[in-house]
Amino acid sequence: MEQKDIDIIRALQNEEFYFELNPFAKIAHKLNMELDLLLERIKQLKEAGIIRRFGAAMTPHKAGFSSNAMVTWNVPLEHENEAAEAMAAHARVSHCYLRDGFEGFPFTLYTMVHANSPEDLEVVLDELAELGNVKERRVLKSLKEYKKSSPVYFPEKM
Amino acid sequence: MDSVDKAILNEVQGNFPVSSDPYGDVGKKLGISGEEVLTRVKALKQNKIIRKVGPFFDAKKMGHRSTLCAVHVPEEKLRETADIISSYVEVTHNYLREGSPNVWFTLIAENEGEIERILSEISDKAGVGPIRNLPARRMFKIKVDLKLKG
Repeated sequence: MEQKDIDIIRALQNEEFYFELNPFAKIAHKLNMELDLLLERIKQLKEAGIIRRFGAAMTPHKAGFSSNAMVTWNVPLEHENEAAEAMAAHARVSHCYLRDGFEGFPFTLYTMVHANSPEDLEVVLDELAELGNVKERRVLKSLKEYKKSSPVYFPEKM
Repeated sequence: MDSVDKAILNEVQGNFPVSSDPYGDVGKKLGISGEEVLTRVKALKQNKIIRKVGPFFDAKKMGHRSTLCAVHVPEEKLRETADIISSYVEVTHNYLREGSPNVWFTLIAENEGEIERILSEISDKAGVGPIRNLPARRMFKIKVDLKLKG
């Protein structure tokens, strides 16, 4: 990636700009760049898919889901894609991935599941078990949040 | 949160205008001033209804690598190890979870070598391991935003 794009991407990640009127004019000023050129380059980065979207992200909890869990499933290799596709189609599943298992941990299908209550969560998990035809699951209940932040691309090294 | 707030959220969630006057543009659509939109967005952020405003990048398209990592850490080392892990800007999420392994964190870095370097540094500094590096083999779904009814 070109240094100029890296500079733009760094500047765009400074959230304080977005809580002022004319954020892009301020970013352009910081980059010592014409506003029109900056807007044009951002549009190109969006078209290239490097910027997936520009917008505001909501806190899931505030959107009405109070029981959220990371749930892993022990699914046989030969029908893992099928099971993953079936679970991904469920409206309460926001993330669905396959990863490698490891010693003592045969669970390879990872889902992030959102529910309104612990009881509701159990209902959703039973639905997913049936959809994916998977018997064994492990809920990786979170006991403590040490860190939750947005990714920083091209961080400035200290 | 009133109906104007919800209308603003629906407007800016997926498509914050990339223009010389984004708040004015949103305001025009909703029949209010840009200043009012900004004031409300600030309040939504302060109330933590909005978690973040800005660009969402495709890590892979930028050539970055992301992964989920897991390590089992004995009770007496938890605090120190969690602090060491969280100190990296490349670590975006870090949780204590039930069962073993008990510490799970996500990592986004510029390349695979950088991920390996950070993991071995964490392992050395905290004296824990093995750290399981579990990048997605295949991705089936990534979060979609929720529309709010006015």
